[in-house]
Amino acid sequence: MSLKKVIETKKLSRIFKNGEIEVHALTDVDMVIEQGEFVAIMGASGSGKSTLLHIIGCLDKPTSGEYSLDDVRVNELEKNQLADIRNQKIGFIFQSYNLLSRTTALENVELPLIYDRTGRFSNSKELAKKALEQVDLADRIYHRTNELSGGQQQRVAIARALVNNPALILADEPTGNLDSKTSIDIADLFVRLNNEGKTIVMITHEPEIAQFAKRMIYLRDGRIISDKIIEDRSTKEIALKELEMPVKY
Amino acid sequence: MKRFFRIFKVAFESINKNRTRSLLTMLGIIIGVAAVIMTISAGEGATMQVENQISGLGTNLLMIQTKSEHKAGINVRMGRPIDKKDFDMLQKNSVWMPQISPLVAIGAQAIGPNGYKSTTVYGVSYDYFYITSREIKLGSFFTEEDVKTAKKYCVIGETIREELFPGQDPIGKQIRIDKVPFSVVGLLREEGSGGMGQDMDDIVVAPYTTIQNRLFGHRRGYNLIVASALSEDHIADAKVEATELLRESHKIKDGEEDDFEIMTQIELQEITGNITGILTILLGAIASISLIVGGIGIMNIMLVSVTERTREIGTRLAIGARESDILTQFLIEAIVLSLVGGILGIVLGVIGNQIIYRATDFFIPTAIYSILIGFGFSALIGVAFGYFPARKAAKLNPIDALRYE
Repeated sequence: MSLKKVIETKKLSRIFKNGEIEVHALTDVDMVIEQGEFVAIMGASGSGKSTLLHIIGCLDKPTSGEYSLDDVRVNELEKNQLADIRNQKIGFIFQSYNLLSRTTALENVELPLIYDRTGRFSNSKELAKKALEQVDLADRIYHRTNELSGGQQQRVAIARALVNNPALILADEPTGNLDSKTSIDIADLFVRLNNEGKTIVMITHEPEIAQFAKRMIYLRDGRIISDKIIEDRSTKEIALKELEMPVKY
Repeated sequence: MKRFFRIFKVAFESINKNRTRSLLTMLGIIIGVAAVIMTISAGEGATMQVENQISGLGTNLLMIQTKSEHKAGINVRMGRPIDKKDFDMLQKNSVWMPQISPLVAIGAQAIGPNGYKSTTVYGVSYDYFYITSREIKLGSFFTEEDVKTAKKYCVIGETIREELFPGQDPIGKQIRIDKVPFSVVGLLREEGSGGMGQDMDDIVVAPYTTIQNRLFGHRRGYNLIVASALSEDHIADAKVEATELLRESHKIKDGEEDDFEIMTQIELQEITGNITGILTILLGAIASISLIVGGIGIMNIMLVSVTERTREIGTRLAIGARESDILTQFLIEAIVLSLVGGILGIVLGVIGNQIIYRATDFFIPTAIYSILIGFGFSALIGVAFGYFPARKAAKLNPIDALRYE
């Protein structure tokens, strides 16, 4: 018996029209991501990885093709339903954290629960605290975002992505604004969350961060050109050691 | 409900985070609401004073005068002047007007031993004091007999006493009106200033016979006949009666217009009420312009705020806020801004009224409805001017908003 499919796309295409010019951002993307996977999506800029992320994240709709997220056929949904799907099934992590300024970590983490319409969360404060504990920020819950370091801010953002217990965690260049050591810490945190059962899709252009994932999908010109299991996964220790090696020219 | 409450909280927090800016934004509304309240209240105060004034003119007052028409900015008498014949006839035949008095008025100099003053001299009969409910403070009124014999007696108001007899008892003293000497027999109790700003104590009252003989020379017409109806319920009866009697005596045929006018105190109140009402509305309208300007200020700041917070809006949309959530959030923010501004404006307006009262003695009752108008208006402005920026925020494309630098 195979595991539950979190993401399933069939012949997914996205065409942007700019006057006369058509840009094929994605072409015939077939992809299945199952529960418990940790997938890194890589590609040069312009390869279509952001477009793919927007569609997976229900922020954009494909021009053609089908997309199911956690057994929900996203194609057929209208705006408000998409918003609810984002709220219930996806946890977003952004490159620049996108936290509310001058607001405490706790309030930031609570944010998705404000927009919950299912009423399934009774005590949002408790849940937010728990999520912050999961990212090792139990002692920072009442700190305001401007009092936290970049790595800590990204941890708050990760806690915010965890708080609604989503089917999928979607990270867009999560280490893009962080130094190498902090990046490794964040990648390590992803591994830990994945080990706890979270399904994670991470877009990155840093190979050493992608190496933490279990599977790597490589995009070029809107098509998947490689999709393979990572044999030699990186760990925190390995990555830190590599960091100390002299740079080869 | 819970979600609504939280969105409310978010709006409050965002206002609180930008305190200086919020306060400056509210300033327009604060000043606008305070201005509306103060102008409306001032208008109400003026209306009240005019009304008091008119009811102070007399009890159940009727004024009969020659018909006049406004032509090219001047009043032109249309009929024959009201005169002694009319007065005698009305006094003899009227049932509903027990008190009746001629009134001749003349602007003149009142000259005393210590000073002089330009004033209005009223020539009346004894009934005048009853009709106008003026009371005496010192001395006495002149009598019916004094009127008949055209005695050179007069009763003066407090303002005249102050000018002519500062700090003295004027009773029995002589004054001259133009060149004619009069003895002061009485001093009127103060009435204060009238609604139109005139001084009700800047007055000299003398028998009309004396005024006509000594100051008018040949003129026999009266300015007015003033009368008081038997009771408030009979003012209309009195008017009908006077109209019929005068038409008969003036030999006006059926179908022809009156050559006189009768105005009752109620009609007078209505007219002045209309005038002050229009004045109040006008002032209020001018003040509301500042409210609208305040609203534009709110819209402006909200637009800046939406642009500044584009990425925040994108984040909220990404983590599952619906368009309506964003719309509500920004709308509430605008409404809270304008309502808090409105409340501060009400406080400022009420305090302003008190300050004016203390400083000028011009009593301004803070009209309850002006508070409601101020409050309602500020809420309305919050919605009206907050909607456009809020919609702009809600309609943002989350992908573009997330990319916004």
